[in-house]
Amino acid sequence: MSKPDQSVLSTVDPEILEAIDARAEEIVKGASVSSKIVALLALGSVPIALGALAKDVYGQTPVDVLDVLQFALLLEYLEADFYQRGLNALGLIPVSDLVVFSTISVHETAHISALQGLITRKGGSSIAKPTFDYTAKGNVPGFVFSATQYDVFTSLAQAFEDLGVRAYKGQVGRLTNDKPALATVLAIHSVEARHACEVRRLRGLKGWITGNSRDDLPAFLQGAYVGEENVTQLSVNVSTLATSSVSKNSATEAFDEPLTMAQVMAMVTPFLP
Amino acid sequence: MQRFEQEDVGRTATVGTIAELSALTSRREFMRLIGIGGALVMLPGMFAACEDGSNTAGLAGPGTGASVTIDFAAGDTALLQFAYVLEQLEADFYSRVVSNFAGSSFKDADKVILTDIRDHEIIHREFLKSVLGGSANFTLAPTYGSLNFKDRATVLAAAKTFEDLGVAAYNGAAQYYRDPNNLLASAKIVSVEARHAAAIRDLITPASAEFAPSSFDDTFSLDKVAFAVQGSIDDMLVFANAPATFVDGPNKTGSV
Repeated sequence: MSKPDQSVLSTVDPEILEAIDARAEEIVKGASVSSKIVALLALGSVPIALGALAKDVYGQTPVDVLDVLQFALLLEYLEADFYQRGLNALGLIPVSDLVVFSTISVHETAHISALQGLITRKGGSSIAKPTFDYTAKGNVPGFVFSATQYDVFTSLAQAFEDLGVRAYKGQVGRLTNDKPALATVLAIHSVEARHACEVRRLRGLKGWITGNSRDDLPAFLQGAYVGEENVTQLSVNVSTLATSSVSKNSATEAFDEPLTMAQVMAMVTPFLP
Repeated sequence: MQRFEQEDVGRTATVGTIAELSALTSRREFMRLIGIGGALVMLPGMFAACEDGSNTAGLAGPGTGASVTIDFAAGDTALLQFAYVLEQLEADFYSRVVSNFAGSSFKDADKVILTDIRDHEIIHREFLKSVLGGSANFTLAPTYGSLNFKDRATVLAAAKTFEDLGVAAYNGAAQYYRDPNNLLASAKIVSVEARHAAAIRDLITPASAEFAPSSFDDTFSLDKVAFAVQGSIDDMLVFANAPATFVDGPNKTGSV
Protein backbone atom coordinates (compact mmCIF):
# COMPACT_ATOMS: atom_id res chain seq x y z
CA MET A 1 0.00 0.00 0.00
CA SER A 2 1.12 3.60 0.34
CA LYS A 3 4.67 4.08 1.49
CA PRO A 4 5.11 6.43 4.46
CA ASP A 5 7.49 8.67 2.58
CA GLN A 6 5.30 8.92 -0.48
CA SER A 7 3.41 12.10 -1.10
CA VAL A 8 -0.17 11.04 -1.25
CA LEU A 9 -0.97 13.98 -3.46
CA SER A 10 1.36 12.56 -6.09
CA THR A 11 -1.25 9.89 -6.67
CA VAL A 12 -3.96 12.34 -7.55
CA ASP A 13 -4.75 13.76 -10.92
CA PRO A 14 -2.83 17.05 -11.33
CA GLU A 15 -6.03 18.74 -12.44
CA ILE A 16 -7.37 18.76 -8.92
CA LEU A 17 -4.20 19.22 -6.89
CA GLU A 18 -4.61 22.94 -6.58
CA ALA A 19 -8.22 22.67 -5.67
CA ILE A 20 -7.50 20.09 -3.00
CA ASP A 21 -4.89 22.34 -1.46
CA ALA A 22 -7.29 25.25 -1.38
CA ARG A 23 -10.04 23.28 0.27
CA ALA A 24 -8.16 21.24 2.82
CA GLU A 25 -10.67 22.08 5.49
CA GLU A 26 -13.57 20.68 3.53
CA ILE A 27 -11.58 17.56 2.82
CA VAL A 28 -11.05 16.94 6.50
CA LYS A 29 -14.74 17.49 7.06
CA GLY A 30 -15.58 15.19 4.19
CA ALA A 31 -13.34 12.48 5.55
CA SER A 32 -15.05 12.56 8.88
CA VAL A 33 -18.41 11.69 7.36
CA SER A 34 -17.42 9.17 4.73
CA SER A 35 -17.42 5.65 6.06
CA LYS A 36 -15.96 4.42 2.80
CA ILE A 37 -12.96 6.64 3.19
CA VAL A 38 -12.51 5.75 6.84
CA ALA A 39 -12.64 2.09 5.93
CA LEU A 40 -10.06 2.50 3.20
CA LEU A 41 -7.78 4.56 5.41
CA ALA A 42 -8.02 1.85 8.02
CA LEU A 43 -6.65 -0.53 5.41
CA GLY A 44 -3.74 1.79 4.88
CA SER A 45 -4.82 2.54 1.36
CA VAL A 46 -4.08 6.23 1.27
CA PRO A 47 -4.22 6.67 -2.51
CA ILE A 48 -7.53 4.86 -2.77
CA ALA A 49 -8.95 6.75 0.19
CA LEU A 50 -7.78 10.03 -1.22
CA GLY A 51 -9.36 9.24 -4.52
CA ALA A 52 -12.69 8.63 -2.87
CA LEU A 53 -12.23 11.73 -0.75
CA ALA A 54 -11.55 14.04 -3.64
CA LYS A 55 -14.63 12.78 -5.40
CA ASP A 56 -16.78 13.40 -2.36
CA VAL A 57 -15.64 16.99 -2.20
CA TYR A 58 -15.46 17.85 -5.86
CA GLY A 59 -17.57 15.30 -7.68
CA GLN A 60 -14.98 15.19 -10.44
CA THR A 61 -14.22 12.24 -12.61
CA PRO A 62 -10.44 12.26 -13.23
CA VAL A 63 -10.03 10.98 -9.71
CA ASP A 64 -12.54 8.23 -10.36
CA VAL A 65 -10.23 6.84 -13.01
CA LEU A 66 -7.18 6.82 -10.74
CA ASP A 67 -9.23 5.40 -7.91
CA VAL A 68 -10.38 2.54 -10.13
CA LEU A 69 -6.90 1.90 -11.49
CA GLN A 70 -5.31 1.76 -8.01
CA PHE A 71 -8.07 -0.56 -6.83
CA ALA A 72 -7.56 -2.81 -9.85
CA LEU A 73 -3.81 -2.74 -9.26
CA LEU A 74 -4.30 -3.96 -5.70
CA LEU A 75 -6.34 -6.92 -6.97
CA GLU A 76 -3.78 -7.72 -9.65
CA TYR A 77 -0.98 -7.57 -7.06
CA LEU A 78 -2.92 -10.09 -5.01
CA GLU A 79 -3.48 -12.43 -7.94
CA ALA A 80 0.01 -12.14 -9.39
CA ASP A 81 1.67 -12.66 -6.03
CA PHE A 82 -0.60 -15.60 -5.24
CA TYR A 83 0.19 -17.43 -8.48
CA GLN A 84 3.90 -16.66 -8.22
CA ARG A 85 3.93 -18.13 -4.72
CA GLY A 86 2.09 -21.16 -6.05
CA LEU A 87 4.45 -21.65 -8.97
CA ASN A 88 7.45 -21.26 -6.66
CA ALA A 89 6.16 -23.89 -4.23
CA LEU A 90 7.81 -27.19 -5.02
CA GLY A 91 5.31 -29.96 -5.68
CA LEU A 92 2.20 -27.85 -5.11
CA ILE A 93 0.86 -27.60 -8.67
CA PRO A 94 0.67 -30.93 -10.53
CA VAL A 95 2.60 -30.99 -13.78
CA SER A 96 -0.67 -31.41 -15.68
CA ASP A 97 -1.92 -28.03 -14.47
CA LEU A 98 1.34 -26.09 -14.61
CA VAL A 99 0.70 -24.60 -18.04
CA VAL A 100 -2.63 -23.19 -16.95
CA PHE A 101 -1.30 -21.52 -13.83
CA SER A 102 1.85 -20.21 -15.45
CA THR A 103 -0.30 -18.74 -18.23
CA ILE A 104 -2.52 -17.00 -15.69
CA SER A 105 0.54 -15.79 -13.81
CA VAL A 106 2.00 -14.21 -16.93
CA HIS A 107 -1.30 -12.46 -17.62
CA GLU A 108 -1.64 -11.01 -14.11
CA THR A 109 1.88 -9.64 -14.34
CA ALA A 110 1.03 -8.02 -17.67
CA HIS A 111 -2.11 -6.53 -16.12
CA ILE A 112 0.01 -4.95 -13.39
CA SER A 113 2.26 -3.31 -15.98
CA ALA A 114 -0.68 -2.03 -17.98
CA LEU A 115 -2.41 -0.55 -14.93
CA GLN A 116 0.80 1.05 -13.69
CA GLY A 117 1.28 2.56 -17.12
CA LEU A 118 -2.21 4.04 -17.09
CA ILE A 119 -1.71 5.38 -13.56
CA THR A 120 1.53 7.07 -14.55
CA ARG A 121 -0.11 8.58 -17.60
CA LYS A 122 -2.85 10.00 -15.42
CA GLY A 123 -0.18 11.68 -13.31
CA GLY A 124 -0.59 9.23 -10.46
CA SER A 125 1.85 7.11 -8.51
CA SER A 126 1.12 3.41 -8.24
CA ILE A 127 0.45 1.96 -4.81
CA ALA A 128 3.15 -0.37 -3.54
CA LYS A 129 2.56 -4.11 -3.44
CA PRO A 130 1.47 -5.22 0.03
CA THR A 131 2.80 -8.34 1.73
CA PHE A 132 -0.22 -10.61 1.52
CA ASP A 133 -1.44 -12.99 4.21
CA TYR A 134 -2.86 -16.05 2.49
CA THR A 135 -4.22 -17.52 5.69
CA ALA A 136 -6.52 -14.49 5.53
CA LYS A 137 -6.15 -13.86 9.23
CA GLY A 138 -6.87 -17.48 10.03
CA ASN A 139 -9.77 -17.92 7.63
CA VAL A 140 -7.61 -20.29 5.56
CA PRO A 141 -6.06 -22.15 8.49
CA GLY A 142 -2.47 -23.23 8.05
CA PHE A 143 -2.24 -22.45 4.36
CA VAL A 144 1.44 -22.13 3.41
CA PHE A 145 1.44 -23.38 -0.23
CA SER A 146 2.66 -26.81 0.90
CA ALA A 147 2.54 -29.73 -1.52
CA THR A 148 -0.50 -31.23 0.20
CA GLN A 149 -2.56 -28.03 -0.08
CA TYR A 150 -3.34 -27.95 -3.80
CA ASP A 151 -7.11 -28.05 -3.18
CA VAL A 152 -6.83 -24.97 -1.00
CA PHE A 153 -4.72 -23.26 -3.65
CA THR A 154 -7.23 -23.90 -6.43
CA SER A 155 -10.13 -22.91 -4.16
CA LEU A 156 -8.53 -19.55 -3.51
CA ALA A 157 -7.67 -19.19 -7.20
CA GLN A 158 -11.31 -19.72 -8.14
CA ALA A 159 -12.50 -17.19 -5.57
CA PHE A 160 -9.92 -14.60 -6.61
CA GLU A 161 -10.81 -14.95 -10.29
CA ASP A 162 -14.59 -14.91 -9.86
CA LEU A 163 -14.17 -11.99 -7.47
CA GLY A 164 -11.87 -10.19 -9.89
CA VAL A 165 -14.40 -10.37 -12.71
CA ARG A 166 -17.04 -8.85 -10.47
CA ALA A 167 -14.70 -6.21 -9.09
CA TYR A 168 -13.77 -4.89 -12.54
CA LYS A 169 -17.38 -5.00 -13.64
CA GLY A 170 -18.41 -2.84 -10.72
CA GLN A 171 -16.03 -0.10 -11.80
CA VAL A 172 -16.50 0.20 -15.57
CA GLY A 173 -19.18 2.86 -15.17
CA ARG A 174 -16.60 5.19 -13.62
CA LEU A 175 -14.35 5.05 -16.68
CA THR A 176 -16.74 6.35 -19.32
CA ASN A 177 -14.85 9.62 -19.70
CA ASP A 178 -11.51 7.91 -20.24
CA LYS A 179 -11.87 5.64 -23.25
CA PRO A 180 -8.32 4.24 -23.27
CA ALA A 181 -8.64 3.28 -19.60
CA LEU A 182 -12.07 1.78 -20.27
CA ALA A 183 -10.74 -0.25 -23.21
CA THR A 184 -7.81 -1.60 -21.20
CA VAL A 185 -9.87 -2.41 -18.13
CA LEU A 186 -12.45 -4.24 -20.25
CA ALA A 187 -9.70 -6.15 -22.07
CA ILE A 188 -8.46 -7.29 -18.66
CA HIS A 189 -11.95 -7.94 -17.26
CA SER A 190 -12.82 -10.53 -19.88
CA VAL A 191 -9.45 -12.25 -19.53
CA GLU A 192 -10.14 -12.60 -15.81
CA ALA A 193 -13.38 -14.31 -16.82
CA ARG A 194 -11.41 -16.71 -19.00
CA HIS A 195 -9.16 -17.44 -16.03
CA ALA A 196 -12.16 -17.99 -13.79
CA CYS A 197 -13.68 -20.43 -16.25
CA GLU A 198 -10.46 -22.39 -16.67
CA VAL A 199 -9.77 -22.66 -12.95
CA ARG A 200 -13.35 -23.78 -12.33
CA ARG A 201 -13.03 -26.42 -15.04
CA LEU A 202 -9.73 -27.66 -13.60
CA ARG A 203 -11.63 -28.10 -10.35
CA GLY A 204 -14.30 -30.20 -12.08
CA LEU A 205 -16.91 -27.42 -12.11
CA LYS A 206 -18.70 -25.64 -14.90
CA GLY A 207 -17.00 -22.48 -16.10
CA TRP A 208 -19.93 -20.27 -15.07
CA ILE A 209 -21.53 -19.31 -11.78
CA THR A 210 -24.92 -20.86 -11.02
CA GLY A 211 -27.15 -18.82 -8.72
CA ASN A 212 -25.07 -17.54 -5.82
CA SER A 213 -23.38 -20.90 -5.34
CA ARG A 214 -19.81 -20.93 -4.10
CA ASP A 215 -19.79 -24.64 -4.93
CA ASP A 216 -17.35 -26.39 -2.59
CA LEU A 217 -15.54 -23.26 -1.42
CA PRO A 218 -15.46 -22.43 2.31
CA ALA A 219 -18.17 -20.15 3.68
CA PHE A 220 -15.76 -17.31 4.22
CA LEU A 221 -15.50 -16.91 0.43
CA GLN A 222 -19.28 -16.54 -0.06
CA GLY A 223 -18.84 -12.80 -0.53
CA ALA A 224 -17.44 -13.52 -3.99
CA TYR A 225 -20.80 -15.02 -4.98
CA VAL A 226 -23.40 -12.97 -3.13
CA GLY A 227 -25.85 -11.35 -5.55
CA GLU A 228 -24.94 -13.62 -8.48
CA GLU A 229 -28.48 -15.04 -8.31
CA ASN A 230 -29.89 -11.82 -9.77
CA VAL A 231 -32.25 -12.38 -12.72
CA THR A 232 -33.38 -8.78 -13.30
CA GLN A 233 -31.39 -7.18 -16.11
CA LEU A 234 -32.34 -3.64 -17.21
CA SER A 235 -35.75 -4.21 -15.60
CA VAL A 236 -36.27 -7.44 -17.56
CA ASN A 237 -36.79 -10.65 -15.61
CA VAL A 238 -34.58 -12.91 -17.70
CA SER A 239 -35.78 -16.06 -15.93
CA THR A 240 -39.25 -15.81 -17.47
CA LEU A 241 -38.51 -14.87 -21.06
CA ALA A 242 -41.25 -16.22 -23.28
CA THR A 243 -39.65 -18.57 -25.77
CA SER A 244 -36.99 -20.00 -23.55
CA SER A 245 -37.07 -23.58 -22.50
CA VAL A 246 -34.24 -22.54 -20.25
CA SER A 247 -34.08 -22.83 -16.51
CA LYS A 248 -33.66 -20.18 -13.87
CA ASN A 249 -30.19 -21.57 -13.32
CA SER A 250 -29.28 -20.67 -16.87
CA ALA A 251 -30.72 -17.20 -16.38
CA THR A 252 -28.32 -16.57 -13.50
CA GLU A 253 -25.38 -18.14 -15.35
CA ALA A 254 -25.92 -16.00 -18.43
CA PHE A 255 -25.03 -12.77 -16.62
CA ASP A 256 -22.10 -12.10 -14.30
CA GLU A 257 -22.94 -9.54 -11.65
CA PRO A 258 -20.88 -6.59 -10.38
CA LEU A 259 -19.68 -6.01 -6.84
CA THR A 260 -19.07 -2.62 -5.28
CA MET A 261 -15.59 -1.58 -4.25
CA ALA A 262 -16.64 -1.91 -0.61
CA GLN A 263 -17.92 -5.46 -1.17
CA VAL A 264 -14.67 -6.42 -2.86
CA MET A 265 -12.53 -4.78 -0.19
CA ALA A 266 -14.41 -6.69 2.49
CA MET A 267 -13.26 -9.89 0.77
CA VAL A 268 -9.72 -8.72 0.12
CA THR A 269 -9.05 -7.12 3.51
CA PRO A 270 -8.29 -10.37 5.37
CA PHE A 271 -5.51 -11.02 2.86
CA LEU A 272 -3.88 -7.65 3.52
CA PRO A 273 -1.15 -7.23 6.13
CA MET B 1 -25.94 -1.87 -58.13
CA GLN B 2 -25.38 1.51 -56.58
CA ARG B 3 -21.72 2.44 -56.55
CA PHE B 4 -20.05 4.46 -53.91
CA GLU B 5 -20.12 8.13 -54.60
CA GLN B 6 -18.68 10.89 -52.52
CA GLU B 7 -21.96 12.81 -52.43
CA ASP B 8 -23.69 9.78 -50.99
CA VAL B 9 -22.05 10.29 -47.63
CA GLY B 10 -24.78 10.34 -45.04
CA ARG B 11 -26.82 7.93 -47.11
CA THR B 12 -25.53 4.59 -48.20
CA ALA B 13 -22.27 3.44 -49.66
CA THR B 14 -22.51 0.19 -51.51
CA VAL B 15 -19.53 -1.98 -52.18
CA GLY B 16 -20.03 -5.10 -54.19
CA THR B 17 -16.63 -6.69 -54.37
CA ILE B 18 -13.31 -6.52 -52.64
CA ALA B 19 -11.91 -4.93 -55.77
CA GLU B 20 -14.36 -2.09 -55.48
CA LEU B 21 -13.47 -1.69 -51.87
CA SER B 22 -9.80 -1.52 -52.78
CA ALA B 23 -10.67 1.05 -55.39
CA LEU B 24 -11.59 3.45 -52.62
CA THR B 25 -8.05 4.72 -53.08
CA SER B 26 -6.69 3.66 -49.72
CA ARG B 27 -7.53 2.09 -46.41
CA ARG B 28 -7.45 5.50 -44.81
CA GLU B 29 -9.91 6.80 -47.36
CA PHE B 30 -12.12 3.80 -46.75
CA MET B 31 -12.10 4.31 -43.01
CA ARG B 32 -12.77 8.01 -43.47
CA LEU B 33 -15.76 7.29 -45.62
CA ILE B 34 -17.20 4.93 -43.06
CA GLY B 35 -16.39 7.28 -40.26
CA ILE B 36 -18.03 10.46 -41.47
CA GLY B 37 -21.56 9.25 -41.28
CA GLY B 38 -22.06 7.31 -44.45
CA ALA B 39 -23.19 3.74 -44.31
CA LEU B 40 -21.34 0.77 -45.64
CA VAL B 41 -23.21 -1.92 -47.42
CA MET B 42 -21.36 -5.12 -48.02
CA LEU B 43 -22.93 -6.74 -50.99
CA PRO B 44 -22.93 -10.45 -51.76
CA GLY B 45 -19.56 -12.02 -52.16
CA MET B 46 -17.85 -9.32 -50.18
CA PHE B 47 -16.96 -11.43 -47.21
CA ALA B 48 -15.99 -14.47 -49.24
CA ALA B 49 -13.80 -12.22 -51.29
CA CYS B 50 -12.15 -11.03 -48.13
CA GLU B 51 -11.50 -14.63 -47.27
CA ASP B 52 -9.88 -15.86 -50.43
CA GLY B 53 -9.32 -12.75 -52.49
CA SER B 54 -10.60 -14.40 -55.65
CA ASN B 55 -14.33 -14.76 -55.21
CA THR B 56 -16.24 -14.28 -58.43
CA ALA B 57 -19.23 -16.39 -57.52
CA GLY B 58 -21.71 -13.53 -57.73
CA LEU B 59 -24.66 -13.20 -55.47
CA ALA B 60 -24.93 -16.55 -53.72
CA GLY B 61 -24.14 -16.76 -50.02
CA PRO B 62 -23.89 -14.27 -47.19
CA GLY B 63 -25.51 -10.89 -47.73
CA THR B 64 -27.99 -12.01 -50.39
CA GLY B 65 -31.04 -11.29 -48.26
CA ALA B 66 -32.82 -8.12 -47.25
CA SER B 67 -30.77 -5.35 -45.71
CA VAL B 68 -30.71 -4.87 -41.97
CA THR B 69 -29.75 -1.32 -41.13
CA ILE B 70 -28.38 -0.30 -37.78
CA ASP B 71 -28.50 3.48 -37.49
CA PHE B 72 -26.05 4.65 -34.87
CA ALA B 73 -27.83 7.99 -34.70
CA ALA B 74 -30.15 6.04 -32.40
CA GLY B 75 -27.42 5.91 -29.75
CA ASP B 76 -27.57 3.07 -27.26
CA THR B 77 -30.47 1.47 -29.10
CA ALA B 78 -28.16 0.87 -32.06
CA LEU B 79 -25.52 -0.66 -29.81
CA LEU B 80 -28.11 -2.99 -28.34
CA GLN B 81 -29.22 -3.87 -31.89
CA PHE B 82 -25.59 -4.58 -32.74
CA ALA B 83 -25.47 -6.94 -29.73
CA TYR B 84 -28.78 -8.43 -30.87
CA VAL B 85 -27.14 -9.33 -34.19
CA LEU B 86 -24.38 -11.19 -32.38
CA GLU B 87 -26.68 -12.97 -29.97
CA GLN B 88 -29.10 -14.02 -32.71
CA LEU B 89 -26.19 -15.56 -34.54
CA GLU B 90 -24.77 -17.30 -31.48
CA ALA B 91 -28.15 -18.57 -30.26
CA ASP B 92 -28.91 -19.96 -33.72
CA PHE B 93 -25.50 -21.58 -34.03
CA TYR B 94 -25.68 -23.43 -30.71
CA SER B 95 -29.31 -24.40 -31.27
CA ARG B 96 -28.23 -26.11 -34.46
CA VAL B 97 -25.31 -27.72 -32.66
CA VAL B 98 -27.55 -29.15 -29.95
CA SER B 99 -30.17 -30.33 -32.42
CA ASN B 100 -27.42 -32.21 -34.27
CA PHE B 101 -26.12 -34.16 -31.28
CA ALA B 102 -27.65 -37.39 -32.51
CA GLY B 103 -25.05 -39.24 -34.54
CA SER B 104 -22.42 -36.59 -33.91
CA SER B 105 -18.88 -37.11 -32.62
CA PHE B 106 -19.48 -35.08 -29.44
CA LYS B 107 -18.63 -36.57 -26.09
CA ASP B 108 -21.14 -36.43 -23.25
CA ALA B 109 -19.09 -33.78 -21.45
CA ASP B 110 -19.13 -31.60 -24.59
CA LYS B 111 -22.91 -31.87 -24.81
CA VAL B 112 -23.40 -30.57 -21.27
CA ILE B 113 -21.26 -27.51 -21.97
CA LEU B 114 -22.72 -26.80 -25.41
CA THR B 115 -26.28 -27.10 -24.10
CA ASP B 116 -25.52 -24.65 -21.30
CA ILE B 117 -23.99 -22.21 -23.78
CA ARG B 118 -27.02 -22.53 -26.07
CA ASP B 119 -29.29 -21.66 -23.16
CA HIS B 120 -27.16 -18.66 -22.19
CA GLU B 121 -27.15 -17.33 -25.74
CA ILE B 122 -30.91 -17.75 -26.08
CA ILE B 123 -31.33 -15.79 -22.85
CA HIS B 124 -29.01 -13.07 -24.15
CA ARG B 125 -31.01 -12.88 -27.39
CA GLU B 126 -34.38 -12.80 -25.66
CA PHE B 127 -33.13 -10.26 -23.12
CA LEU B 128 -32.03 -7.91 -25.89
CA LYS B 129 -35.25 -8.50 -27.79
CA SER B 130 -37.20 -7.52 -24.70
CA VAL B 131 -35.08 -4.45 -23.98
CA LEU B 132 -35.22 -3.29 -27.59
CA GLY B 133 -38.98 -3.70 -27.87
CA GLY B 134 -40.07 -2.23 -31.18
CA SER B 135 -36.44 -1.75 -32.19
CA ALA B 136 -35.91 -5.52 -32.18
CA ASN B 137 -37.34 -5.34 -35.66
CA PHE B 138 -35.21 -7.85 -37.52
CA THR B 139 -34.74 -11.58 -37.49
CA LEU B 140 -31.51 -12.63 -39.12
CA ALA B 141 -31.02 -15.64 -41.33
CA PRO B 142 -27.69 -17.15 -40.30
CA THR B 143 -25.77 -19.19 -42.86
CA TYR B 144 -22.89 -21.57 -42.26
CA GLY B 145 -22.02 -22.79 -45.72
CA SER B 146 -21.06 -26.43 -45.65
CA LEU B 147 -20.26 -26.56 -41.94
CA ASN B 148 -20.71 -30.11 -40.69
CA PHE B 149 -22.66 -29.81 -37.45
CA LYS B 150 -22.04 -33.47 -36.65
CA ASP B 151 -18.29 -33.06 -36.48
CA ARG B 152 -16.88 -32.14 -33.09
CA ALA B 153 -13.67 -30.49 -34.27
CA THR B 154 -15.41 -28.44 -36.94
CA VAL B 155 -18.14 -27.19 -34.62
CA LEU B 156 -15.75 -26.37 -31.78
CA ALA B 157 -13.50 -24.42 -34.14
CA ALA B 158 -16.46 -22.37 -35.33
CA ALA B 159 -17.66 -21.89 -31.74
CA LYS B 160 -14.22 -20.62 -30.77
CA THR B 161 -14.39 -18.04 -33.56
CA PHE B 162 -17.86 -16.88 -32.56
CA GLU B 163 -17.02 -16.58 -28.86
CA ASP B 164 -13.74 -14.75 -29.34
CA LEU B 165 -15.49 -12.42 -31.78
CA GLY B 166 -18.30 -11.83 -29.31
CA VAL B 167 -15.86 -10.87 -26.57
CA ALA B 168 -13.96 -8.49 -28.84
CA ALA B 169 -17.22 -7.02 -30.15
CA TYR B 170 -18.64 -6.23 -26.72
CA ASN B 171 -15.29 -4.88 -25.55
CA GLY B 172 -15.10 -2.59 -28.57
CA ALA B 173 -18.71 -1.37 -28.52
CA ALA B 174 -18.58 -0.52 -24.82
CA GLN B 175 -16.93 2.84 -25.47
CA TYR B 176 -20.03 4.17 -27.25
CA TYR B 177 -22.70 3.59 -24.59
CA ARG B 178 -24.27 6.75 -23.20
CA ASP B 179 -26.29 5.14 -20.43
CA PRO B 180 -24.04 3.47 -17.82
CA ASN B 181 -26.79 0.94 -17.13
CA ASN B 182 -26.52 -0.29 -20.68
CA LEU B 183 -22.73 -0.40 -20.38
CA LEU B 184 -23.08 -2.48 -17.24
CA ALA B 185 -25.50 -4.87 -18.93
CA SER B 186 -22.97 -5.28 -21.73
CA ALA B 187 -20.21 -5.96 -19.20
CA LYS B 188 -22.41 -8.57 -17.49
CA ILE B 189 -22.72 -10.39 -20.80
CA VAL B 190 -19.17 -10.06 -22.10
CA SER B 191 -17.60 -11.89 -19.18
CA VAL B 192 -19.97 -14.81 -19.73
CA GLU B 193 -18.98 -14.83 -23.41
CA ALA B 194 -15.37 -14.92 -22.25
CA ARG B 195 -16.18 -17.87 -20.00
CA HIS B 196 -17.73 -19.58 -23.04
CA ALA B 197 -14.64 -18.82 -25.11
CA ALA B 198 -12.37 -20.31 -22.49
CA ALA B 199 -14.57 -23.40 -22.07
CA ILE B 200 -14.73 -24.05 -25.81
CA ARG B 201 -10.99 -23.59 -26.10
CA ASP B 202 -10.49 -25.94 -23.18
CA LEU B 203 -12.65 -28.56 -24.90
CA ILE B 204 -10.44 -28.26 -27.97
CA THR B 205 -7.12 -28.37 -26.11
CA PRO B 206 -7.66 -29.27 -22.44
CA ALA B 207 -5.50 -27.79 -19.67
CA SER B 208 -3.32 -25.89 -22.11
CA ALA B 209 -2.55 -22.19 -22.52
CA GLU B 210 -5.29 -21.97 -25.14
CA PHE B 211 -8.12 -20.83 -22.86
CA ALA B 212 -6.75 -17.29 -22.85
CA PRO B 213 -4.35 -16.73 -25.74
CA SER B 214 -3.38 -13.22 -24.67
CA SER B 215 -3.01 -11.20 -21.48
CA PHE B 216 -5.63 -8.88 -22.93
CA ASP B 217 -8.71 -9.68 -24.97
CA ASP B 218 -9.17 -7.97 -28.30
CA THR B 219 -11.16 -4.76 -28.70
CA PHE B 220 -12.80 -4.74 -32.14
CA SER B 221 -14.24 -1.77 -33.94
CA LEU B 222 -17.86 -1.99 -35.09
CA ASP B 223 -16.64 -2.29 -38.68
CA LYS B 224 -14.29 -5.14 -37.92
CA VAL B 225 -17.09 -7.04 -36.22
CA ALA B 226 -19.43 -6.31 -39.10
CA PHE B 227 -16.98 -7.72 -41.61
CA ALA B 228 -16.67 -10.88 -39.58
CA VAL B 229 -20.35 -11.51 -38.87
CA GLN B 230 -21.48 -10.71 -42.41
CA GLY B 231 -19.88 -13.97 -43.50
CA SER B 232 -22.42 -15.90 -41.44
CA ILE B 233 -25.56 -13.91 -42.22
CA ASP B 234 -27.68 -14.05 -45.38
CA ASP B 235 -29.11 -10.62 -44.59
CA MET B 236 -27.17 -7.60 -45.74
CA LEU B 237 -25.84 -5.82 -42.69
CA VAL B 238 -25.81 -2.03 -43.06
CA PHE B 239 -24.42 0.59 -40.72
CA ALA B 240 -25.65 4.17 -40.88
CA ASN B 241 -24.11 7.09 -39.03
CA ALA B 242 -21.41 4.86 -37.57
CA PRO B 243 -19.29 6.51 -34.86
CA ALA B 244 -16.45 8.58 -36.28
CA THR B 245 -13.92 7.55 -33.67
CA PHE B 246 -12.66 4.27 -32.30
CA VAL B 247 -10.37 3.82 -29.31
CA ASP B 248 -8.42 0.61 -29.74
CA GLY B 249 -7.52 -1.68 -26.84
CA PRO B 250 -4.11 -2.82 -25.62
CA ASN B 251 -3.72 -5.46 -28.36
CA LYS B 252 -4.16 -2.84 -31.11
CA THR B 253 -6.03 -5.36 -33.24
CA GLY B 254 -9.33 -3.53 -33.43
CA SER B 255 -9.26 -1.70 -36.73
CA VAL B 256 -10.35 -3.12 -40.07
